[in-house]
Amino acid sequence: MSTLDNIQPPKVIVEDGTLHPINQTKGYLLNLLEEMGFKQVHGPEIETEEFNFDMLNIKKSHPARQMHDTFYVEGKSNVLRTHTSPVQIRSMLETKPPMAFTSAGKVYRKDDDSTHLPMFHQVEGIYVDENVTFANLKDLIHQILHNLFGNDVEIRFRPSYFPFTEPSAEVDILSDSGKWLEILGCGIVNPIVLENCKIDSEKYSGLAFGLGVERIAMLKYGVNDIREFYKSNLDFLAQFK
Amino acid sequence: MKLIYQDLLKFLNDKPSKEDLSYKLFQLGHEHEIHGDIFDMELTPNRGDCLSLTGLARELNIFFGMSDGVEIYKDNIENLDINFENLAAEDCLKISFLDIEIQGTTSNYRPYLENYFSILGNNKTNFFTDISNYISYELGQPTHCFNRDSVNSKFTLENKETSCTFKTLLGTEINLAGKNCVFSMNDEIISLAGVMGGASTACNLDTKSALIECAYFNPESIIGKSVKYNLTSDAAHKFERGVDVAAQEKVLRRFVQIVQDHAVIRSIKMKSFSSKEHECISIPIDIVKINGILGTQLNEAQYLSYLEKLGFETNTSIKVPSYRGDIKSQNDLAEEIARVIGYNNIDSVPLKLKKIINNSEIDKASLIESFLVRNGFSEVINFPFTSIKDKCSIVIDNPLDSNRENFRTCIKDSLISNLLYNERRQKDSIKLFEISDIYKKNPDIKQKKILGLIISGRLGNDHINFSKKLDQQYLNQLLNENLDNEYFTVVEIPRIDLDTKKKDKIFYVEIPLDEIPELFFSSLDETDKKLVNFVSYISISEFPSSTRDFSFSITNLSKVNEVIDILENTSDSIIKNSFVFDFYKNEKTETVKLGYRFIFQSDFKTLSDEEINKKVNKIIAPIIQLDGVSIPGM
Repeated sequence: MSTLDNIQPPKVIVEDGTLHPINQTKGYLLNLLEEMGFKQVHGPEIETEEFNFDMLNIKKSHPARQMHDTFYVEGKSNVLRTHTSPVQIRSMLETKPPMAFTSAGKVYRKDDDSTHLPMFHQVEGIYVDENVTFANLKDLIHQILHNLFGNDVEIRFRPSYFPFTEPSAEVDILSDSGKWLEILGCGIVNPIVLENCKIDSEKYSGLAFGLGVERIAMLKYGVNDIREFYKSNLDFLAQFK
Repeated sequence: MKLIYQDLLKFLNDKPSKEDLSYKLFQLGHEHEIHGDIFDMELTPNRGDCLSLTGLARELNIFFGMSDGVEIYKDNIENLDINFENLAAEDCLKISFLDIEIQGTTSNYRPYLENYFSILGNNKTNFFTDISNYISYELGQPTHCFNRDSVNSKFTLENKETSCTFKTLLGTEINLAGKNCVFSMNDEIISLAGVMGGASTACNLDTKSALIECAYFNPESIIGKSVKYNLTSDAAHKFERGVDVAAQEKVLRRFVQIVQDHAVIRSIKMKSFSSKEHECISIPIDIVKINGILGTQLNEAQYLSYLEKLGFETNTSIKVPSYRGDIKSQNDLAEEIARVIGYNNIDSVPLKLKKIINNSEIDKASLIESFLVRNGFSEVINFPFTSIKDKCSIVIDNPLDSNRENFRTCIKDSLISNLLYNERRQKDSIKLFEISDIYKKNPDIKQKKILGLIISGRLGNDHINFSKKLDQQYLNQLLNENLDNEYFTVVEIPRIDLDTKKKDKIFYVEIPLDEIPELFFSSLDETDKKLVNFVSYISISEFPSSTRDFSFSITNLSKVNEVIDILENTSDSIIKNSFVFDFYKNEKTETVKLGYRFIFQSDFKTLSDEEINKKVNKIIAPIIQLDGVSIPGM
């Protein structure tokens, strides 16, 4: 046996690749909501106007339906979904309350600048049961935000407007720099939406919320430019192992 | 909408500070920024009624009390004999006209009017139009001023197919197309209703006689027109969001009052056309329902008191004011109450979901992702838009540009772009994958979840794999080895058509997830998913990197580990990566040859050879001083 036999070659370590940080964040949110009792449902990215707008009480006159805000396809026969809410509509039509769904995935808006992309990701949740109140919604949102940003995070609810919820709210958290940052939108499901889904709105009520995955990922990882997520740059992706 | 703080105070009994005002506006849901004395409001699209001083004052009444700061002309106004016909009654429920003639004109405005222009930076146009613009700011109702002399025969309002050129009062020529709500006279369009008047009937600095039109247009009839014709229109902005359906005559009387504040009126006449009387919405008083929606314990007296202060009548039922087109249901009223109480003042009530549902389905995409990541692949997400069109492509009707007219029908082109992008960034071992829904038209729209993966370059950055290349065999071993068939078809992508000078072969696999056999998934570990760790991101450098390779000859074998330790423990802000790329034991000479690579890159600049060499010398100096360690040729 020569002396060389005692020399061990350096260890070969196969380095892991990276799951995309947006999908990591999306997965984190879905796991959190699943633990609370929400079931994940899926649906198409190319939607009918009926499911993307009408069923959600978004009237023909709503600015979001205009060609400058929404991508229409195939001679206006369909749209690229502008939110994941139509997935919930499809699921509500197939289920009886109580029900708790999350829908997640890509959504599209006709924007393209340094802070807005034509495609981004949402995670939305809906819970329908008897006696669901705005006070319950606040509790749920607190649970989600405490999990994401710690129990000490300061949370603010502001009135807002979404055709599919009433009352509607936007929720902010106070950043370390003392600035309020918008985090999510939520509200009590508009009874019109429940009725559209053949749910008795006199008996049942619901709460709904939606988070922008990119927004959460940017805050959690400290990425300042949303466009970085979509350059497919291995130097960038390697940081999220 | 911009408004002057002092202007708003005129309509409030209390005189809150800017901070107090701001706080309450936020509580009510009216976002804004404050610049000096100007509040720049960003209102939600359902609150057209708040797009004015009086609109916001009505909201703030509950906190600060509202004073009736608007003086209107109260005297009798003669009936106007006007040759007008409303042929668009569905689009315009109510329209009123004021025929007003003055003696002389003035541009010397009283402070309330002058401030609107000087402080908010609005341009003056002419006497009547200036008043019209101010009234829109004060009351939220747009009006349009025709030069009376130019409206001299029968005119109509009609929602009709139009195909002609129209010159706006700003001088812009637009091509009207499709259905538009228009005022016409003698077959000529004189105004694009609710958006902008025409040049042929516009008032000017010399106008002494004007016909003021004041209407309620359905939002649906106006929406999108200003964008379609690229016109910036305050009137359209307000009509799209809904104005007060019953305010037209009051607004015109206010118009008269402001004219009277500035000029001698020679004559005024007014006429209103109403296609349907406004029906006040009535909602039952139901405090149980309101508390049920909010989770509060309000009593009825409190509830009704809040509503009254917001302008609702509360007798046997709740009557919604004409300006609140957004209120139709108990949930709408609940939101009103929540805004007044303050969303943040409503206590949370713990929520426990009754039905806990376990997601028992195996997430195949997730299993594959974990498997690929464990084997060194990085996931990418691409936009689905492409210029490439095939017979199955779904076409975007309104693309962002001509390069993004179609929905992609495969992942390949996106992944090739990603690969070339990373090669240009000096990456020499690339393994990428993407899982995405792909849509095709055939003839109906079909959706499939597709996995695409691409490889090229070195097999690995270590002494075993550095000189080997990622190839077909690698992918076959990774994906097909334990299967009864080659389900994953590996194809080579020729470089000839690609914009690259690299020579490494590119291999690619694309497969629908539902065509991957169960056998493949059964070999994957469901518990293999990594926990998400939200690491702090550090900005990546955009400057080029430089590589330096060293080949050490080690005759004193006891020093091998020491050399490796020194190299592996070398760190510096400009060393981005380092690894052993060669390790060879020469039996004949009893020496070890060690190849080591450093990759240098600065976050701030392109590094010069001199800077890198200086760093290199510092690294290797202690190594080559070791007994029996040398770099041949150095």
